[in-house]
Amino acid sequence: MACALVPLDEQQVTEAAGPLGLGKERTLPALHPDRKEERCFVPYKPPPEDSSPAQVEEFLEYGRFIMEDLDWLLNLPHDKFWCQVVFDESLQKCLDSYLCHAPRGLDPSSLPSSPALSEMQRSIHRAVFMTFLRMATHKESKECFITPLVFGEIIYNNFLFDIPKILDLCVLFGKGNSQLLHKMIENIFTQQPCYYGDLDEAVPSILQVLDTILAKCGLQCEGGTATEPLKLDSRSRPSAMTMSQQNLVDLVLYLCDSCTTIQAFLDIFPEACTTFHCHGFLNRLASFYEVAVPDLEKAVRKRNFDDKSLQEDLWKRVCHSRRTMVETTHLMLQQSCLRPILEGSENIHTFVEELLQHFTTFLPEKRFLVDYDEQFPVADDVSLLQQAFPLIDETRTSYLLQGVADAWDSIGRRRPQ
Amino acid sequence: MSPPRLTGALRSFSTVSKREEFTEQVYDMKIKRLKRQELFSREGLTWQKIVQFFTQHLDKAEQQSAIQELKSVLQAAKQIVDTEHGQDTIESAAVFLFETFHNKDHVGLEETRAIKQMFGPFPFSAADTSCAAVSRAVAPLGESLVEEFVRSQSSCRIPQRSTAFGRNISFSYDCYALDPQEALPWDGGPDEETSGGGLDF
Repeated sequence: MACALVPLDEQQVTEAAGPLGLGKERTLPALHPDRKEERCFVPYKPPPEDSSPAQVEEFLEYGRFIMEDLDWLLNLPHDKFWCQVVFDESLQKCLDSYLCHAPRGLDPSSLPSSPALSEMQRSIHRAVFMTFLRMATHKESKECFITPLVFGEIIYNNFLFDIPKILDLCVLFGKGNSQLLHKMIENIFTQQPCYYGDLDEAVPSILQVLDTILAKCGLQCEGGTATEPLKLDSRSRPSAMTMSQQNLVDLVLYLCDSCTTIQAFLDIFPEACTTFHCHGFLNRLASFYEVAVPDLEKAVRKRNFDDKSLQEDLWKRVCHSRRTMVETTHLMLQQSCLRPILEGSENIHTFVEELLQHFTTFLPEKRFLVDYDEQFPVADDVSLLQQAFPLIDETRTSYLLQGVADAWDSIGRRRPQ
Repeated sequence: MSPPRLTGALRSFSTVSKREEFTEQVYDMKIKRLKRQELFSREGLTWQKIVQFFTQHLDKAEQQSAIQELKSVLQAAKQIVDTEHGQDTIESAAVFLFETFHNKDHVGLEETRAIKQMFGPFPFSAADTSCAAVSRAVAPLGESLVEEFVRSQSSCRIPQRSTAFGRNISFSYDCYALDPQEALPWDGGPDEETSGGGLDF
């Protein structure tokens, strides 16, 4: 073990040289590739869908290897743990494969069929989380810590965390561990602000995913990044009604996963809302909703499904996606505008103006606006604005509220009393 | 195959992560098993210590038959690993068999699984032979003496759960799931009038 009260990145250790610890002693940095153990972590494979004994046994065999290795890893002292994490590529591949392939709660067949599979899956799930938690902790105790700046460099330069991994962590573990995850992600972004830059680079790709979903339905929305104009020939144009059933299933699964992942991330780490905001995410999301939701709903309702349970499942996924999109919008408005207003921020009028501007932009997106208003009444927010900022232009708020009422009328739905 | 995911698209199309492809990754379990065998042989009990243990605790007459049984274990180990491996590997496999069977009277599912996990597919007769041989060898010694010997020699291999990172951290297995209440908004079939129904939160 290296010496105490010195950060790990500055510690030196003296140990026997040579593979068997024979030979002379040598001094080397505590964080050094020679100090890692050749362990050969195996990659994770998801539980088999059909539970043939051979596949079950294969999953359990991989699982036992992973559990044994992660148990060993979590038992390592601080310095050895970090040597392994930084220099063992097989460990990183094992963790990455879990994030990529572990079943999410929303996956069609997320629950392993046998108790043995389920137990193994749960054990791996916890061990992977604890490993990431330890990797996100630069100070484990008074004696075991890494200089924050160096910690930031280590996790970033070695891709121990990246934006897709952080999103995966949120969607896999966030439901019941949001506070811990918030601390982890907050620490990662605080110690390494480059992650904000990466997030800034990733948001256009997220928006591109929304455009891809629309393009697959033969749709386009305002502000979209589609570079090719849609073909006029409707026969060759894909649509949710005409695409193959498998493509429709994949598309709905993709939408559901994307919406849940974005919402989980922003809910756990609301500090990221600002970055999404800078890319006009709110308006793009509202336009996307307006165009995509009715089209997908229609396809799920009208198409002929031999398997009615599949149809039922797709409907639930569309509903789930709608709900998460509305909740994400509210979360972002709350974080970016409402919160500073209610906290009496210095530039209150700027936030008031921004909020009103957002609502005004939503006015043409009638279907979206109605669904939003149903869950988070716009009138409530306007009332809050009037209390927090009495100078608010009443003509403008009246126009806005009338626009919301018109939206309800225009889509033929009655507002709940 | 995993369903299409947002993070999959980000990994493929954005520049914020390391480029790696896992989907078609085939992992050679032979490498993992060899590594595991190597780690096993490096720490804890050795074949020499086992032989020494028997010579220390048995009288001359009993020693002879115990040594014969241990030879059978070595022979079985040779069948389980590969003939191409050296004496060290065979002895290490014999240690593993001894540890596995020192308190067992037959080859159960757990033992079969443990041997396969360590060496891959193996001839069951070899496991059976080694189990019987270990059983006969330890019989004159008494269960607690052998148990104590194996435990004291193998303790460094067993992870101390009491010191593991995260042992005191409460963890929730809850996960995001579909709301079962979000049923189809019609009875018996599609209906145009219900389109655009409320979110029914």
